[in-house]
Amino acid sequence: MTHIPLITDQISEGYVILISGLLIVFGALLTLSLFFKFGLPIILYIYKVITKRKDKKISEIKVDADEEFTGEIAGAISAAIHLYLNEQHDHESAILTIKQVKKPYSPWSSKIYGTQHRL
Amino acid sequence: MKKVLLIFSVLSLLIFIRPALGLNSNNNNDNITSSVSVDQVNQEEEISYNGAFEGIKQFYNYTGFANATLGNIIMIFIGIIFIYLGIKFDYEPLLLIPIGAGVIIGNIPFVAGNQTGIYETGSVLNYLYFGVVKGIYPPLIFLGIGAMTDFSSLIANPKLMLLGAAAQIGVFATFLGALYLGFNLPEAGAIGIIGGADGPTAIFLSSKLANGVNILADGTTVKNLIGPIAIAAYSYMALVPVIQPPLMRFLISKEDRKIKMKPPRAVSQKEKMIFPIVALILTTFISPSSLPLLGMLFFGNLLKESGRTERLADTARTKLIDIVTILLGVTVGASTQADIFITKDSMLIFALGAISFVIATCGGLLFAKLMNLFLKGDNKINPLIGAAGVSAVPDSARVVHTEGLKSDPSNYLLMHAMAPNVSGVIGSAIAAGIILSFLG
Repeated sequence: MTHIPLITDQISEGYVILISGLLIVFGALLTLSLFFKFGLPIILYIYKVITKRKDKKISEIKVDADEEFTGEIAGAISAAIHLYLNEQHDHESAILTIKQVKKPYSPWSSKIYGTQHRL
Repeated sequence: MKKVLLIFSVLSLLIFIRPALGLNSNNNNDNITSSVSVDQVNQEEEISYNGAFEGIKQFYNYTGFANATLGNIIMIFIGIIFIYLGIKFDYEPLLLIPIGAGVIIGNIPFVAGNQTGIYETGSVLNYLYFGVVKGIYPPLIFLGIGAMTDFSSLIANPKLMLLGAAAQIGVFATFLGALYLGFNLPEAGAIGIIGGADGPTAIFLSSKLANGVNILADGTTVKNLIGPIAIAAYSYMALVPVIQPPLMRFLISKEDRKIKMKPPRAVSQKEKMIFPIVALILTTFISPSSLPLLGMLFFGNLLKESGRTERLADTARTKLIDIVTILLGVTVGASTQADIFITKDSMLIFALGAISFVIATCGGLLFAKLMNLFLKGDNKINPLIGAAGVSAVPDSARVVHTEGLKSDPSNYLLMHAMAPNVSGVIGSAIAAGIILSFLG
């Protein structure tokens, strides 16, 4: 690696950093977006080939398989499900723990129990 | 209440009596050597009264009332304003209230040397501040953000990533501005990142570049600017709802504001799982210095999307990020100790921060307009979402959404604005990495 010996002018170095930095940021995010535009379908295609052993052209495999099903529809359905599941609570019985138990015999009601076991 | 009064009065009695007792025990030695006389005892009593008075005086010298400077009082007032803004206007209360409380904590006047203040080695606050100084908290915050963020709108529409890059022009423009104002290179780099509108990134970079420890080529040490930079970044992030809308209205025409974007396609789980891994590898290969931030961000996102580690993702996005936010907020607030914080540099940083936010927002908006020139018909984007390229997640996306609703009540931009918003996070982390690799 070569080192540029002491640039005395800070401002000019600043411009170097400004331009190269902006270029790198743009470059990085551009590569990322290009990858997801073009690279991802290829990866998914390869994955499909490996798992299903079926020959298909890249153009046949669409990332956007279901054009009709958009995020908005998904949002509407999930909102409906959410509302429905929340609603269910209204029909539940409020009494959850107290249950009436009837027993034929209990020491509480027995006279003989009471006479033998003094408190 | 009565109990509290009782305890308080007992405590204050003890405090007042202590110096008197202390003086008596000293005088006992004298008593042994000197002959005991009634006269002497009287004198003793007088001395002990004097001593008690001296003790109270000494106690007073230890209190905040004696040590308060104008700076302290101003900063405490600012802390109260932060808390007020957070509660009353709901501007990022999760940040402003801890920071506001921290500002008050950090500016209570004290006598130096008792391991009280945040800048005194060995004090508890100093240990907590360690996480800021060494840049430990920001990656942990990023882990939580990653576990919270849904990148699907970005995957569905990858071209919106460029908007996140365009907003980074604010970072570099501010960097240049700081250089012109006479800051040296590392300091200017740390100040520039305020334009990234990302608190954790700003703290991370300033803790590496402007930490008051590094030594420059000409032998001088850099200034410690972590406090002012963090406060500027967080306060402008909280003020996004105030700063951005006028710029949007100024730069984007009424017709453009009404553009409806087509809903993003549904993204499969497989794509969502591939995204963090590929993005991690690509971005960190390009800018390895941003590894702590981006590594944790995409790791958190993988925890979320893998579908197998819901427990870990859940902790990362709730408990962990909450804990770190509390510590970060309070210590960053407390680092604004008046004698270190109120300087000309801080004022310059605040001014530069405001300008950088403006430039970043304009950069995003204008780039979105530029992109529209090349896009046809259905694919046109609403230029408003360019403003979300500054990474203040999810506040700027929300601002874009409400601004879009104002011009057309049926235009929901939130989902679309999230794409440049999260790519802004990635972009500013990359920018931080670049600056760090140039200047670190």
